[in-house]
Amino acid sequence: MITAGLGLKPQHYDEALTCDAEGLWFEVHPENYMSAGGPRLAALEAIRERRPLSLHGVGLSLAADADPDREHLAALKRLVDRFEPFVVSEHLAWSTHRGQHQPDLLPFPRTHAALARIAANVGRMQDALGRKVLIENPSLYLPLTGHDLDEVDFLKALVAQTGCGLLVDVNNVFVSASNLGYRAETYLDALPAEAIGEIHLAGHAPDEGGSDLLIDTHGAPVAEPVWTLYRRLIDRIGPRPTLIERDDDIPDFATLMAERDRAAAMLEPVLEKAHA
Amino acid sequence: MPELLDFQDAFVAALGGERSALSPWLAPDAGEAGLSVYRNTIAKGCVDALAANFPTVLSMVGEDWFRAAAALFAREAPPTGATLLDYGKDFPAWLERFPPAQDLPYLVGVAHLDRLWTEALFAAEAAALTAGALAALPPEALAETRLALHPSVRFAAFDAGLPSLWSSARAGHDGLELSDQAEALLCVRAHGAVRHRVIGEAETEFLRACREGQTTAQAAERVLTAHPAADLAPLFAGLIADGVFLDIDR
Repeated sequence: MITAGLGLKPQHYDEALTCDAEGLWFEVHPENYMSAGGPRLAALEAIRERRPLSLHGVGLSLAADADPDREHLAALKRLVDRFEPFVVSEHLAWSTHRGQHQPDLLPFPRTHAALARIAANVGRMQDALGRKVLIENPSLYLPLTGHDLDEVDFLKALVAQTGCGLLVDVNNVFVSASNLGYRAETYLDALPAEAIGEIHLAGHAPDEGGSDLLIDTHGAPVAEPVWTLYRRLIDRIGPRPTLIERDDDIPDFATLMAERDRAAAMLEPVLEKAHA
Repeated sequence: MPELLDFQDAFVAALGGERSALSPWLAPDAGEAGLSVYRNTIAKGCVDALAANFPTVLSMVGEDWFRAAAALFAREAPPTGATLLDYGKDFPAWLERFPPAQDLPYLVGVAHLDRLWTEALFAAEAAALTAGALAALPPEALAETRLALHPSVRFAAFDAGLPSLWSSARAGHDGLELSDQAEALLCVRAHGAVRHRVIGEAETEFLRACREGQTTAQAAERVLTAHPAADLAPLFAGLIADGVFLDIDR
């Protein structure tokens, strides 16, 4: 049974290898393992022998007006073949532009034309990997105009056109709803339950620049309102593999496992209900 | 479908400070803060990657200096791919041209050595030649063998003691002094982790000969011609122990 997992960090390799928590799984950014060789790949291989693994891409740039980079896709395919992840996911965002890479998940106007382009890119990704992928909702910071679809309708259309699934990042929903002024509950309630294959939980922080924006830092514990939204989501859709993400100001493994155990404990009654 | 590309062009221009380019897509309530968040996240991603790849440079110049310089480099030479493991190939050369680095004479060399170490870390896996496998070869076959270097081998020679200085800084020592002894640094990852050690001119010459495809006998002769006092047996045994040679096809 795959329940709650943790984003795997190099400083925690040893503990990840020996931890005996039931249902624990790990997730990594494949971009951090796209090397010809090295100790990271060896460590990931050892952990993968004991635990399910998810590959969560941050760099394929599916929302760029360009085909996904062939070399990147080939490198991803090699990792998928080698590590046999139970989930492969990417973001509804872009990062490449005319040969340069901006290491961030950038927004775009959700037009019908953008939908056609992104659906084609998701299709290319799925064809190259020979499997279904999950697409994650982004954190948004800038109110744009020119959208033809709201984000939930855009994601639904993407699912319908490509057969992809969704990775719902509850913290991103909370952050975007706060930044752009909509209700997180309304957004979550409208997501198609059957398409959701994974859930992310992470921490955020107020903008150090002094604005009212919340920043998806992955640098703090999951906030209480995000746990409340998570409860609401799994009560509605049922249990899903749930990940605690932490990429900055990383505490010790035990601290992260305590958060992970909280998610596992919340999943437990939902799992029982689903199997009743 | 030019509209999405038009948007991307405008967004990147706005990230660079030309906010008006994005105005057709900006909602009336869009403040400056949102763009700043993206700008800061991008800069942080690049700077963090450079900090991970140039830890000795960072330790020598301090966090503030490093982050300011790295942010400038990232604006001039943004990553070209999503894998930042490898980012900063041109950072040493950029530091050489960076005016504030002119007062820090070792910095460019230190950056170069950090880069060698990172390249060794992520190089391809391969089996290294062991002393046992070598001992199984008849002596005349060894003399005629062309030993290939392990894919993780990186070395660089300097006409002063920069490799010793780098090694000390990497180990966390301060009070660094640069000797005028010519030295080279060898990085290799044949047995799991990257190992590095300061090597002399004779060993460097031997590695160069192997890299150029010469036989063991030719390499030995080349070393002894340039360095008649060199003691070849321990030199060769040391390199074998480091795992610098690729296993031989038998």
